[in-house]
Amino acid sequence: MLKMTHLSKVYRTEVVETYALRDFNINVNEGEFVAVTGPSGSGKTTFLTIAGLLETFTGGQYHLDGVEVSNLNDNERSRIRNEKIGFIFQAFNLIPDLNVFDNVEVPLRYRGMKTAERKERIMNALERVGLASRAKHYPAELSGGQQQRVAIARALAGSPRLLLADEPTGNLDTQMARGVMELLEEIHREGATIVMVTHDPELAARAQRNVHIIDGQVVDLAEDPRFHHAVTSARAGSPA
Amino acid sequence: MQIKPILSALRRHKAGTFLIAMQIALTLAIVCNALFIIHQRIAHLSEPTGIDEPNIFVIKSEWVGHPDSARVDAMIREDLQVLRQVAGVQNVTPSNSYPLRGSGWDDSVKLKPDQLQDSSGATIYFADQNFIDTLGLKLIAGRNFRADEIGHMDMRYRLAPPVVIVTKALVQKLFPGEDAVGKTIYLIGGPGTIVGVVDLLQAQSVERWASDFAYRSVIIPERLNISLGSFYIVRAQPGQLDSAMHAAVKALFAQNPRRVINDDDGVLSFSDVRSRAYESDRGMAILMGVISVVLLAVTAAGIVGLTSFWVGQRRKQIGVRRALGATRRDILRYFMTENLLISSGGALFGVLLAIAMNLWMVTRFEMHRLSLTYLVIGAVMLLLLGQGAVLAPALRASRVPPVEATRSV
Repeated sequence: MLKMTHLSKVYRTEVVETYALRDFNINVNEGEFVAVTGPSGSGKTTFLTIAGLLETFTGGQYHLDGVEVSNLNDNERSRIRNEKIGFIFQAFNLIPDLNVFDNVEVPLRYRGMKTAERKERIMNALERVGLASRAKHYPAELSGGQQQRVAIARALAGSPRLLLADEPTGNLDTQMARGVMELLEEIHREGATIVMVTHDPELAARAQRNVHIIDGQVVDLAEDPRFHHAVTSARAGSPA
Repeated sequence: MQIKPILSALRRHKAGTFLIAMQIALTLAIVCNALFIIHQRIAHLSEPTGIDEPNIFVIKSEWVGHPDSARVDAMIREDLQVLRQVAGVQNVTPSNSYPLRGSGWDDSVKLKPDQLQDSSGATIYFADQNFIDTLGLKLIAGRNFRADEIGHMDMRYRLAPPVVIVTKALVQKLFPGEDAVGKTIYLIGGPGTIVGVVDLLQAQSVERWASDFAYRSVIIPERLNISLGSFYIVRAQPGQLDSAMHAAVKALFAQNPRRVINDDDGVLSFSDVRSRAYESDRGMAILMGVISVVLLAVTAAGIVGLTSFWVGQRRKQIGVRRALGATRRDILRYFMTENLLISSGGALFGVLLAIAMNLWMVTRFEMHRLSLTYLVIGAVMLLLLGQGAVLAPALRASRVPPVEATRSV
């Protein structure tokens, strides 16, 4: 589903080159739930923005659903984002001027879908996250957990091949975070491929597989003993 | 189209939307009326005089001292004789005034001597038998004055010429559908028989107060002798206007130096006369044009400013839309459509405001009713202006990268 080979991302200024990702390799299979972890500044978010075609990369190869994406133009990248990828952001990124229904509708409109189909998909997605009754509410009228559920509904409504979640519970309290995480697990059980970036070992432990990044490269989790221990403890159900 | 979500987003930005729509409405109302006034002024200053303008010039000769009427008449006749000898001069006639001069003799015309109400107003041109040829008028009925019919009078005499020549416009007013030659009209001093009709001769004034009798003129076979000075209307041979003007003044001074021909307006080509006559109309048209351009520029700047502000404010939102699959064209279209919706609302209200403004001016300043064409042109112009003004900020918005969605500020 998602395969990056020897991928690099370099930020250049006049005086310095900074490698955000270096010789980066990852392979996510269809139906997997992968947690991408690592300390701050390790390159997790850069990986996610490249994986979601939000940014280009400097070298290497990236195949998404069998398509090599490096030569795609801006319109083709937009179409793939729209049709194949669902985004869940840490800050929810709902459009404050639009109500819940209209927010979920945004990606469907860019797909040129007919009104009736849009409406059906939106209501199904909102029911799926338990917010059908809040369709006319504005984001500011919802709790953080509800807003993230709307964002998940927006990501699900387009039936994407891949869900990319960037610290999906980072802005939520423990109870709301648990609810959102359970929802993601449920979506995964139904067959979705999920790649979740997180620095939270407890969340990482709930994924099928962990990919750990340090200094822009994928490393064995054992190379970060504290995080490794925290994840292992979380998996065993005991405190770290 | 994304009209519904754009409208719901606009509902949450009421103040900015309302202000820019009102600015568009006000601009439309003012520009429509300004364009209408400009058009009217331009139409006004293009009205024909009926004379051979390219070849005509006028000389105002002021006499030194206070010669009596008989002496003035003698001097006028001497001047006419001298002017006819000038190289390049085709003909010359004395007159009290000429079209577009802005002052002269206007009088009432009646059909019966005891009539209380005037039948029409008219400009009175004092002239000799050369008036029609000099001005290049077209005689369409009857005859010209004979030399033996030309008299002379000063301001103290009552206006009672035995014969007159009138314009077609006056005939249509006084004797609609009839042959006017041989009929009698009454001027302030007595009756005059119409012996000829000319096609077109504009009145001396182009001001609004004279618009009722703009082309109703009466030509009187008299030289008007005023001690202060005389006007000579001169028709030059084609292509010899400048040299004839120069030579004519020289010849007049050579004949009689006891006169003043003012440097500023003593000798005027007819294009100068026209230019001076319509100075205020032209000035008004330019002023209205400048006001319109300034207003349009201010409105365009307002749209650019507000849209730029909104683009800056919604940078993250644009990034989110891009992340969710919007192409650059989608973002561009979003802002263009948003502007079109605001401008359309403003234009709709502006049309109503323009009509109200015009109706107010119709009652206060005797303006004409605003034609629908101006409203349509004005509305289309404002919509295009809005689309043009929003283009740069909208293009800037379309260049916001999708990765903006992941940035925290």
